[in-house]
Amino acid sequence: MKHFHIFLSLTVLSAMSVLTACGGSSGDISSSTATEKTDAFVSQYNSGLSAAGTGAGLTAAAVAESFDAAYLDAGFKKSDLLASLSANAQSINTNPDVSLFPTSNVSNGSVTNCDGNNICTFSGTLTNADADSTAVDFTTKVRVLNGSIYLYGDQSATTSI
Amino acid sequence: MNNTFALRQTAFAAAALSSLISVVAVQPSAAADKAANKAAGTYVTGDFHNHTTCSDGSLSMKKLVDKAAKTFNLDWFVQADHGGSSARNCTLAEDPFEPVPAALGLTSSATGPYPPATYPSTGQPASTGKGPSQSWESTLPSGRAAIKGDGTATPKAMWRWQEIKEYQYPVLEAESRARQKPIWIGVEQNAPGHEHISTTVLKGQLPWPASGVAGNATLQSQYEYCFDRSDTDTSRGAENQYDCSVAATPGDARIDATARKIRGTNSVATPDLGHAKTLEGIKWMNEKAPTSSYFIPAHLERAGKYDPVANRGYNIEHLRDFNNTAPNVAFGFESMPGHQASATRGEYAPNFGGPGIDSVGVGTYGGTGIYAGKIGGVWDAMLGEGRNWWFFASSDYHNRGQFGPDQRESTQDFQPGEYQKDYVMVRKGSNNLSAEGIIDGLRSGNHFASSGDLVDRLAFVACASNPAIPRAAFKTLVEKAASNAVAKNAEVRINGCATMGEKLVVAPGADVVVAIAVRDPQGTNNSPYSFSNPSLKQIGMTQALNAPVLDHLDLIGGNVTGYVSPTDAARYAGLEGSAAASNASTALKKVFNSTNWTASADGVRVMSIRIPAVKASQYFRLRGTNLPASTPFETNADGNPLNDFDLIPFDITVPGKVVCSDAACPVHMRTINGVKYSSFDVAAWSDLWFYSNPVFIEVVNAVKVAGAK
Repeated sequence: MKHFHIFLSLTVLSAMSVLTACGGSSGDISSSTATEKTDAFVSQYNSGLSAAGTGAGLTAAAVAESFDAAYLDAGFKKSDLLASLSANAQSINTNPDVSLFPTSNVSNGSVTNCDGNNICTFSGTLTNADADSTAVDFTTKVRVLNGSIYLYGDQSATTSI
Repeated sequence: MNNTFALRQTAFAAAALSSLISVVAVQPSAAADKAANKAAGTYVTGDFHNHTTCSDGSLSMKKLVDKAAKTFNLDWFVQADHGGSSARNCTLAEDPFEPVPAALGLTSSATGPYPPATYPSTGQPASTGKGPSQSWESTLPSGRAAIKGDGTATPKAMWRWQEIKEYQYPVLEAESRARQKPIWIGVEQNAPGHEHISTTVLKGQLPWPASGVAGNATLQSQYEYCFDRSDTDTSRGAENQYDCSVAATPGDARIDATARKIRGTNSVATPDLGHAKTLEGIKWMNEKAPTSSYFIPAHLERAGKYDPVANRGYNIEHLRDFNNTAPNVAFGFESMPGHQASATRGEYAPNFGGPGIDSVGVGTYGGTGIYAGKIGGVWDAMLGEGRNWWFFASSDYHNRGQFGPDQRESTQDFQPGEYQKDYVMVRKGSNNLSAEGIIDGLRSGNHFASSGDLVDRLAFVACASNPAIPRAAFKTLVEKAASNAVAKNAEVRINGCATMGEKLVVAPGADVVVAIAVRDPQGTNNSPYSFSNPSLKQIGMTQALNAPVLDHLDLIGGNVTGYVSPTDAARYAGLEGSAAASNASTALKKVFNSTNWTASADGVRVMSIRIPAVKASQYFRLRGTNLPASTPFETNADGNPLNDFDLIPFDITVPGKVVCSDAACPVHMRTINGVKYSSFDVAAWSDLWFYSNPVFIEVVNAVKVAGAK
């Protein structure tokens, strides 16, 4: 997200290209390029999730890179996310009993229903592969920016979830 | 109610106790095991507290085991008669073993013949010259000469230590192996200084899946000789030459030179001696069988408050003493007692412990004693210290009151597995289903108890919320994990999640998601009644008494503030309702019901709640019921269970509170001026509850949750 402000024009241009590939503001990303973008997002996000599942990786850049600067999810901002990761990292350093976060891996990603603000719906399967595998389908909002996809959250300020 | 805080007496007891408890054995702190280190497990059903004619029950050992393991299909069972002595030979089975037909619901008969009618309440009469009510003296080949130890009565009573070692254990081992279920022997100890304790010393016993060489119950026998208040034998177990000394108490001058045990108990001359002896018993267990023993106070509110000069109940300081002495042995209580079909539910009543000595709380509350039934009460005080102190239920079967053992109605007790069950996590793999694994499960706190099959599966988990996963997705993930676990009758095994009996250690400010999946089993339970629940009928609900529906589930939580030192008398010792026996932070955190859980056709209900930014170490536990809040005479506006004694007064000449107006209401209901009132078994089947054990959350740099793994 570090290029968001600097390369706004390029971002819009890239987003437009993705939207074009989607076939319109509400269409699916169906071109091979879009698929690559989605796959790249999923790969990056999985890297971040993997890092967040370890004590040493909690504050790794890979965790944060999948999140839009305007990420807001059920009242939880990107800054909250980073603070939470940092707090857990600090606690783990002082107390080996601190629980790692339940981690997951995303698969079967697709991006659909992009709107005029380049806000789209990401659909995927979230899988925890600890002792018993648990998999759920989920959707969340993403933003297409500068040719890349970022988690955007539900943009709700309430903490009802 | 008799809940007055007796300051003087409590201070006296606390001072005495502080001299008894010199070392507080705090469990080392550790977080929940990593998921990969948890062997896959299953919740299995069982009961560890029921009686035969070896003490004051009405059935033979074989018939009781048959009821538990076959009729009601429990996965495991512990036969635990009272300590002391008995003249009856409980190893003789009824003749015939099963009345014809071998099924429930036979016609009552007080006169026989047996068969075709069922035996009366007291079981097969000794007058038939057959069955388990005959005496040892008249049925053993050597007669009286075979009965060891002190005693001059005719017929001579056999001390329980001999029964256990020479007669009861071999029967149980054979039953266990034949039925391929873990079935072993324990003792309901008449505890010195107190009332009753469910105990087992498993070491030496070899129930199924062991095969080949026979085991023995020598240690269980010795425990009974050494520490049961009613075992006044001085023979040292005849040829066994038992010695009751405890290594942790070297040179104990209280031990009698002849009997080699402490012979006294609480009395005016020796206040608190009984309690001290009971603590020695826990130490003994911890020395002889530290991982295969348990010590679980039974119906602990029934006999009233503790009395240093008599043998009655328990105050919270005694539970703390037990747990401090050996937390791996003394780790919980039976606060959901048996005798649920009794005229006074659980037999809790005014004056139970003698004139002016009411059961603590007077009655039960939805069938559970006030120690666990009251939010913020004794159990929550224990959990608020971070103690491993778990909730259990038992049937405590003796007889069915005015009905025979093969009938389905009862005016006294339910048989093991018929009404209450303990569901215990047993890890399989190389250990498979075994008595040791079950005791490990009991000790772990990973279990729950339910009456009337209200629920039969539960997954209850607290997970550190992963901030890198969108919140809705994370909630869906942990709910799915809970749902999957219930489908497999298993637990959630995910790193960063903790289940019952475990603790989740999190950073300050972390979010925690509590997820619950519970199964309300479809079909009918063991109730013989299909008419409408009279308690629910009061509020216009029609629901068959044998097909209860989970109405709601309560998430209860409180803070953990750390262990209380025995030297801190004001906080360590006190009667129910005192500050020492309360946790003011405990509250009802969330009510789940059809409006906020996801229901599926198989009866599974899934729900969750996010606990944001936790700052204090705390715990959560669950309870649930078939009764909505504000059901008259059953629940208050907050959904808390009301005193069952008020619903069913002791005086049967006065009306009850809930009319049983259905034409099918049985004739044994309390009936005043032609009006039947919900009572006995109908009252019990009407008012069902389940309780989970807690999940602890420890916040770094806050109070450590010392007792839970």
